[in-house]
Amino acid sequence: MKNNKNIGIEKISKELPFSVPENYFNQFALQMDEQIGFRKHLQHKNIKTWMYIAAMFIGIIVTGQVFYSINQNNATRNADNYESYVLSQVNENSLVDLYVDEAPSKSNEK
Amino acid sequence: MNPTEEELVLQFSQPTHRAGAFSIIVRTYQERLYWHIRKMVLIHDDANDVLQNTFMKAWNGLDGFRGDSQISTWLYRIATNETLTFLTNKRMRFQNSIDDVDEVMLQNLKSDTYFNGNEIQLKLQKAILTLPEKQRLVFNMKYYDDITYDQMEAILGTSVGALKASYHFAVKKIEKYFSDED
Repeated sequence: MKNNKNIGIEKISKELPFSVPENYFNQFALQMDEQIGFRKHLQHKNIKTWMYIAAMFIGIIVTGQVFYSINQNNATRNADNYESYVLSQVNENSLVDLYVDEAPSKSNEK
Repeated sequence: MNPTEEELVLQFSQPTHRAGAFSIIVRTYQERLYWHIRKMVLIHDDANDVLQNTFMKAWNGLDGFRGDSQISTWLYRIATNETLTFLTNKRMRFQNSIDDVDEVMLQNLKSDTYFNGNEIQLKLQKAILTLPEKQRLVFNMKYYDDITYDQMEAILGTSVGALKASYHFAVKKIEKYFSDED
């Protein structure tokens, strides 16, 4: 090493002769997040968000179901009402007359 | 987009944003602080411990940070104090031992998986280890990181004149070490 005798340190490489394990800084940051409770806070926040979304989804399904049932009931009720309405419009005597008139003609056909 | 330093300081004062702001600070400054510490303690595992202590001290002392200095200056100060405390404790442990602490540090450095220097770089580390700790700090900050004397003054609380003198003497000692070794 005689050639180092009058060495000026500025001539030595300023590159640091150290390295770190692979992915060290990412891991370190995550570890610090855990130590200060930041990840827990984040997880809690995420769970809350998902709970809101799930509640909204259930709400939409329940509301849809209720509307569907109401519509179905209305449709049934409308059909019943229509039948009653038709029957109420028919005169009972004219109905009897119609049956009486049609009866002989049907027996003659035989 | 990362928040500015002013925004981060503002977030510190709000308990709900504090952890998030600190997480960004860790990611922003961890590498710079790690290398600042590593140059002093040399071994990766030791640097990792001191870095953790640094950030935990910062986290617990957030209330004391009023934004009258830059976040980086504040963190460098904590890291420097933690490093010097670590080295003092290490020296205390070796006080009654026949082993010389600097020699032990050098041996550990040689066997450290994360040291990949050549012969001349190892010799430079040996030479730096002969300096008093404060002088080592000044030398490392100037030589490797080219930190300005004004920034160093803010971090170390030493006047620019004294820092310049300290660096000058450090360089002379290291050059003498090299010539004496030959």
